[in-house]
Amino acid sequence: MSELADSLFTAVELILSFDREVRLTVWTSLYTSFSAIVFAALFGIPAGLWLGIKHFRGRRVVITLLNTLMALPTVVVGLVLFGLFSRQGPAGSLGLLFTPWAMIIGQMLLATPIVVNLVLSAVAGSDKRIMDTALTLGASHFQASVQLLKEIRFGVMAAVIAGFGRVIAEVGVAMMLGGNIRGLTRTMTTAIALETSKGEFAFALALGIVLLGVALIVNLFLNFLQQR
Amino acid sequence: MQTVISLRDIQVSQGDNFRLSVESLDLYPRQIYALTGPNGAGKSTLLRIMALLALPQQGSVRFAGGASSFAEQRKRVTLVEQSPYLFQGSVADNLAYGLKLRGIDGKEQRRRIELTLSIVGLEDFALRMAKELSGGEIQRVALARALVFKPELLLLDEPTANIDSKSLQAFEALLCRLPKYGVTVLFSTHDLSQSERLGAKLLRIENGRLLNEFPVAPESLPTYKRSCDAGRKP
Repeated sequence: MSELADSLFTAVELILSFDREVRLTVWTSLYTSFSAIVFAALFGIPAGLWLGIKHFRGRRVVITLLNTLMALPTVVVGLVLFGLFSRQGPAGSLGLLFTPWAMIIGQMLLATPIVVNLVLSAVAGSDKRIMDTALTLGASHFQASVQLLKEIRFGVMAAVIAGFGRVIAEVGVAMMLGGNIRGLTRTMTTAIALETSKGEFAFALALGIVLLGVALIVNLFLNFLQQR
Repeated sequence: MQTVISLRDIQVSQGDNFRLSVESLDLYPRQIYALTGPNGAGKSTLLRIMALLALPQQGSVRFAGGASSFAEQRKRVTLVEQSPYLFQGSVADNLAYGLKLRGIDGKEQRRRIELTLSIVGLEDFALRMAKELSGGEIQRVALARALVFKPELLLLDEPTANIDSKSLQAFEALLCRLPKYGVTVLFSTHDLSQSERLGAKLLRIENGRLLNEFPVAPESLPTYKRSCDAGRKP
């Protein structure tokens, strides 16, 4: 029990002293996940909007597929991309494996279905008169879609934050594609998993506390947006 | 006389169900038209087709001045729904939307917003948030939002269905003045006396068929209809 208390004390000390190792790992986590969610949003928001507005043959199949992709195991994404980026893989020549870019691409694939699906839900739950109102005031279809996006902006922001929540906490992609390289691809989750097994419990605990803090902030923000 | 809008051989059906048939309909500038008919007769469908929000399976909708792009044509007509939607933000934001789309901003935009709000009796409402308004106020803001960019054709779907009798009088008085500003008005209503009060030309629709068009006999009109006519050019 006292060992746990000691570790907790050391962990808090590491955080409060802005330990370089902790700082570096937190920074890697934040910037890879943030980059991934930016790319996921750039693709996912227009895609969700388009799926929500357009009615075409096969739309239900696409939505069912997206629902399935939302529950995609992170290690499966890691495995597929590992095969793609490994030296013998079709994209091996790009030299992406064990770089932050490989992690960003993997995390983007994890977050995109979430963003698309939640934006689609926001469009489905929006007032059906928005598009027609914009059109009858003289907007083109594109301008009316932009207006719709403005009207459902809190739902869209919630979609992006939910996607961020998914990638910041995942370990499979970061581990398999990043390889936990210190100062380069070591994220909070991979460090927690691997440092614990090396006996660096206090360091892992410090990262765990920071990760929990990030998750708390994300959820508080999400809750705030959902109440708007 | 050139028409504002001409409809020819319009046919609309949904699946096997026949919805609307209009052989020929011409609306002329600076007139008020009333579209009457029972529920489900096709009034809203006709209004949506004239507003270019829905396309008929057959037939043509033409605006005066020959061919222009679909988007340009849509800028000349606007539809105010029975329960209109106001965008989030202030009343001024709502009125600015159509103006921005037409490249009107800055001083001219502010001038038009102020003027239009005063016309609909909402002088101090520019900064009020849309979500704080009552049903009657929403209706008037929606009308102001449509009028602010001076449409050639203003379509109103049962505009007075949800407003009280005091607002009704003000609303009708406002409609009377619109032809003077070059706006042609077509409103749907169940209230025949309203079309009489406004001196509107009557369009009757039944079971999806536009039956006829005829002016209301002047002697059947109540006194203040004449004041409605006073401001109108012959």
